[in-house]
Amino acid sequence: MPGLDYNTLVVLVGTVALGIAAGVTGSLALLRRRSLLADALAHATLPGVCLAYLWTGERSLPVLLCGALLSGLLGVVIVSWLPRVTRIRTDAAIGLVLGVFFGIGIALSGHIQRTVTDASQAGLDSLLLGRTAGMLFNDTVAIGVASLAVIGVVFFLRKEFLISCFDPGFGEVEGWPVLALDLLQLFLLAVTVVLALPAVGVVLTAAMLVIPAVSARLWVDRFGILMILAAIIGGATGGLGTLLSARFESLPAGPVIVLVSSSLFIISLLCAPRRGVIARALRSRSRTLNRETRRLLALLLEAKSRGKNTVPHSHLLGRERSVRRRSLDSAIARGWVQLDGDGISLTEGGHQRALRGRRALQLWHAYLEDAASIDRDLVDLDEEQIEKILPAEKVLELERLLSSRTEGGDG
Amino acid sequence: MKSPAIEVHDLTVAYRAKPVLWDIDFSIPEGEMVGIVGPNGAGKSTLMKAILGLVPISSGWVQIRGEPISKDRSSTLGYVPQRESVDWDFPVTVLDVVLMGTYGRLGWFRRPRKAEREWAQDCLEGLGISDLASRQISELSGGQQQRVFLARALAQDSEIYLMDEPFAGVDAATEEAIVALLKKLRARGRTVMVIHHDLQTVENYFDRVLLINLRLVAAGPTREVFTRENLLFTYGGRLTVLDEAAEAVRLAHGNAGNLKRHPDAGS
Repeated sequence: MPGLDYNTLVVLVGTVALGIAAGVTGSLALLRRRSLLADALAHATLPGVCLAYLWTGERSLPVLLCGALLSGLLGVVIVSWLPRVTRIRTDAAIGLVLGVFFGIGIALSGHIQRTVTDASQAGLDSLLLGRTAGMLFNDTVAIGVASLAVIGVVFFLRKEFLISCFDPGFGEVEGWPVLALDLLQLFLLAVTVVLALPAVGVVLTAAMLVIPAVSARLWVDRFGILMILAAIIGGATGGLGTLLSARFESLPAGPVIVLVSSSLFIISLLCAPRRGVIARALRSRSRTLNRETRRLLALLLEAKSRGKNTVPHSHLLGRERSVRRRSLDSAIARGWVQLDGDGISLTEGGHQRALRGRRALQLWHAYLEDAASIDRDLVDLDEEQIEKILPAEKVLELERLLSSRTEGGDG
Repeated sequence: MKSPAIEVHDLTVAYRAKPVLWDIDFSIPEGEMVGIVGPNGAGKSTLMKAILGLVPISSGWVQIRGEPISKDRSSTLGYVPQRESVDWDFPVTVLDVVLMGTYGRLGWFRRPRKAEREWAQDCLEGLGISDLASRQISELSGGQQQRVFLARALAQDSEIYLMDEPFAGVDAATEEAIVALLKKLRARGRTVMVIHHDLQTVENYFDRVLLINLRLVAAGPTREVFTRENLLFTYGGRLTVLDEAAEAVRLAHGNAGNLKRHPDAGS
């Protein structure tokens, strides 16, 4: 690739490793409902960075990041401690820590800017918005290695993290040190946040953790695969963002990385196969259509039992028992209903289908009456689902019950 | 002499300064089916969690088969938490959840292998939902969720099972499946403790009941303890509940064989 010099390559390796780590710990945070905490954590790092600089007078990245880690962890401790000893809830505690720590950080960095002449080169302002170009070779190597360590820990403890995320109570009964695992997971999150600071900065770090995980969640439904996909998205967007930022020097890396991953998120939100917006709309549309088609068949069957084989169009589409045009078209396309001059009537197949639907519905109502309690997820079923759910002997029993109740019913 | 499966002595549990259970004292022999009954907020779940070691005990002690609760309780204690206690939109399949029952035995770093998978599949079979193994858990109905939780407890293969409202909000078919499972566990000599809300079925399901309302109202064999008087003490003056209780006792002592909700298994 033209223009990809040695320095850029080094930075690229660092940000890709970082993106992968962010995808992995971001997924865990998402499942543990800690995405917002990640944001508070990132903002809480700023005073630590400033204090580390003021205290040591050094601008080396490892020193600044150690300060960031300590104050970030302090922020997390306060977030988990406040709701336990006061009436402050977690969301308020998160907002509180985020604002207070960030405010202190901004005040401190203002103080540094006034008193220290070369503050702009101290690397402090680059930690606010991120500037990968300013990263030194050694820093990049350190970030890359630490990222790999984070990934490694999650890889080896994935089973343990799964149980402590999904059902901590059960995990504890099984003998797992759930609290320790949870703290370790939090520590990994804090480390990732701190590693991401030089690349994307305090303000946008949370986006780097949250967006790949949320995007991946839209596509996949398995714990391990979610982390792998989030890692791929994180790595790819991190790398792409870095390259774009290196190419156009006016663009800082952080916002570019976030913009790249946001675009991917919007695509995922729209196009994901089951959870995407489009798929959901289509599904709900077809459910409505099926329900209405069922209703149309029932109406026609009822008319037929009153001797009216053909029902005029206007009657069905009119106000009284309005049937949507769409369900009529669908019933015709499936061969259940035919146009009959001015009206519509059931075909032989449609008649059978309507009978079957009515029978299933009667059985189902009898079953629900008979059953002690209702599983609320088992309503609004069509005949195929009902026939699948009810066991054969139950059907026989219910049919006996029904025929004893309604003498001379059809079927 | 054989020590009881569960022994609880002078147990008091408090959240902050407020005691939620006090002076609870009972013991449960091995191989019995025990129902915990009491009104909402009576501390039934807390008692179960105290036995499992999930909440700190303020005073008193709990012994499982003659020994205090140890860190490694996976082989002794099986747990079915309340269904609402987990996020059912979590990205795992039914088989993944059931496999969690084998994690305790597997220990650190070891992954479930073919043997564990087959075992988990057998446990699903035991609850009649083996066809759901690869289903994403968000697609399950309430009754199916409950069966998955029970299959996971079965996968733990424990001596003592504690179940927090397994019958809450399930359909009739699931209720039958759970009752069949409980009978199977009793036949194998396992001890089962169940938090139960439906007074009508207590007499049918349980050998022994604990009536609880912040303190222990009564404990013992169902026939002796599950009386109108004790239920009055347990539920206080709540009339609707009382009517239900009276009805339950009448049914249980009157024509126990004729309960609508409990058709004999195998028919």
